[in-house]
Amino acid sequence: MSILGEPLTTASARALRRRIGLLTEAPGLWDRLTVTQNLLVYARLHRLPSPSDAVARALDAFDMRSRADELTAQLSKGLRQRVALARSLLHEPDVVLLDEPTGGLDPESARDVRTLVNGMRGSRRAVLLSTHNLDEAERVADRVAVLRTRLVAAGTPRELRARLFGTRVRVVLTGDAAAFCEPLRASGIADVRASGSVLSVGLDGRTTTPVLVRRLVEAGASVESVVPEEASLEEVYLGLLRAGAGSS
Amino acid sequence: MTAVAALLAKELADLRRNPGVFLPGLLVGALAAFLPFFVAVIVPVATGERLADSSDFQVAIEVYRTRPALGGLGAEGAVQAWIFQQFLIVLVLAPVTGSMAVAAYSVVGEKQARTLEPLLATPITTLELLAAKVLGAAIPAVALTLACFAVAAGGAAVLAEPGVWRVFLLGESLATVFLIGPLASLAALQLAVCASSRAVDARSAQQLGALVVLPIAGLLVAALVGAVTLTATVIAWIALGLLAANALLMRIGIALFARESILTRWR
Repeated sequence: MSILGEPLTTASARALRRRIGLLTEAPGLWDRLTVTQNLLVYARLHRLPSPSDAVARALDAFDMRSRADELTAQLSKGLRQRVALARSLLHEPDVVLLDEPTGGLDPESARDVRTLVNGMRGSRRAVLLSTHNLDEAERVADRVAVLRTRLVAAGTPRELRARLFGTRVRVVLTGDAAAFCEPLRASGIADVRASGSVLSVGLDGRTTTPVLVRRLVEAGASVESVVPEEASLEEVYLGLLRAGAGSS
Repeated sequence: MTAVAALLAKELADLRRNPGVFLPGLLVGALAAFLPFFVAVIVPVATGERLADSSDFQVAIEVYRTRPALGGLGAEGAVQAWIFQQFLIVLVLAPVTGSMAVAAYSVVGEKQARTLEPLLATPITTLELLAAKVLGAAIPAVALTLACFAVAAGGAAVLAEPGVWRVFLLGESLATVFLIGPLASLAALQLAVCASSRAVDARSAQQLGALVVLPIAGLLVAALVGAVTLTATVIAWIALGLLAANALLMRIGIALFARESILTRWR
């Protein structure tokens, strides 16, 4: 295993720790110390050239200046997580590991933390976020890795969907959709499901959306709308685990 | 500022906000400072019997009356000086036992509070981490010992026979307080920190750390019954033994501290 091109060994671990920021599931703050004191210890442990300046920058970046002298025990869960996030970025690491960053937070605090995580985009660092919250993964992750003891699959959410479910579209018609299943199958589009006035159609390399719409119009259908049909990441996740269990 | 100093500053700041943790050490230290006064000053006054009249103390009288550094003590003063000097070992050990709770809690407490994981993700080495933890408990313990020593010496100057206070300034007394005391503190607290690294609760770590007190308590008993006299040579050997024990305990501590397991498996 290597991190940032550096093989991960006991000898290289210390140097690598300087380049990695870790946000643990629990904020892990010292309750009897103030926000500033908490951050200052870490700035010194990372041997930053000017620890006080680094802490001041972090307080500003995370909008914590007004809370700097408060004991961390007095902060809300969301604010504690914010301080922990500031701590993990104090030394401007190349890689940031976030372990369940919104675990146990109320929706408002969770959104706040997600905004901060999204704010790391463009900061030229890799952000690795571990979560069981698939909605969160969908919102913040560019690429997703599904793990079950070992790596099951990795890719963008779109790639994972396509791998498992292919590409589907949802076509809304003006009348009963079931009447158009047979004409489509007869024209070579086999993966067709109807429900009320909606058709769910699986596309492949030969069948594109314009081709599908043309076939429907030729069959006499009146098309209201065509939208991509996306499985949720949760469906993708469960599907990948089932597929993994089936193959193992 | 080194990593040890950074973490030590945190430990001391943390303890300053939680002074109650030193209350047991303070009580035991005060008791240890009071104990020789009770034996050497209060009991003879209360019973009306001079210690110098007891045949048990004749050797002590001979030795302590003739020591030039004590400025020619009387018989009763010589016995008091002997008692004060023997009880210095208790004075040294008492605050250590009080600080044991701090040391025992140091690592396992951080595990339980989930503050250890982010700490271990920094470049701090295991040696630096353990050194800061041990010093964080030892510095207040040694400070408490010195305070109790000053109180005992001051009390002897006021309450004991004239000139008895000089026994506190003898080379072996100073070596006991300033050399054996800190070294014994370090050894005891290192043992507690070692135990704390592997324990799942602070209590079991504390019990193990307290074991180091046993040989030193044995030394006190040996000194009181006259089996051992704390001469400069004996003190030097004890100090060397403690130094070796400290070096060994630090190595054991580092070996026992399963850093990666704490990060990945401890819950």
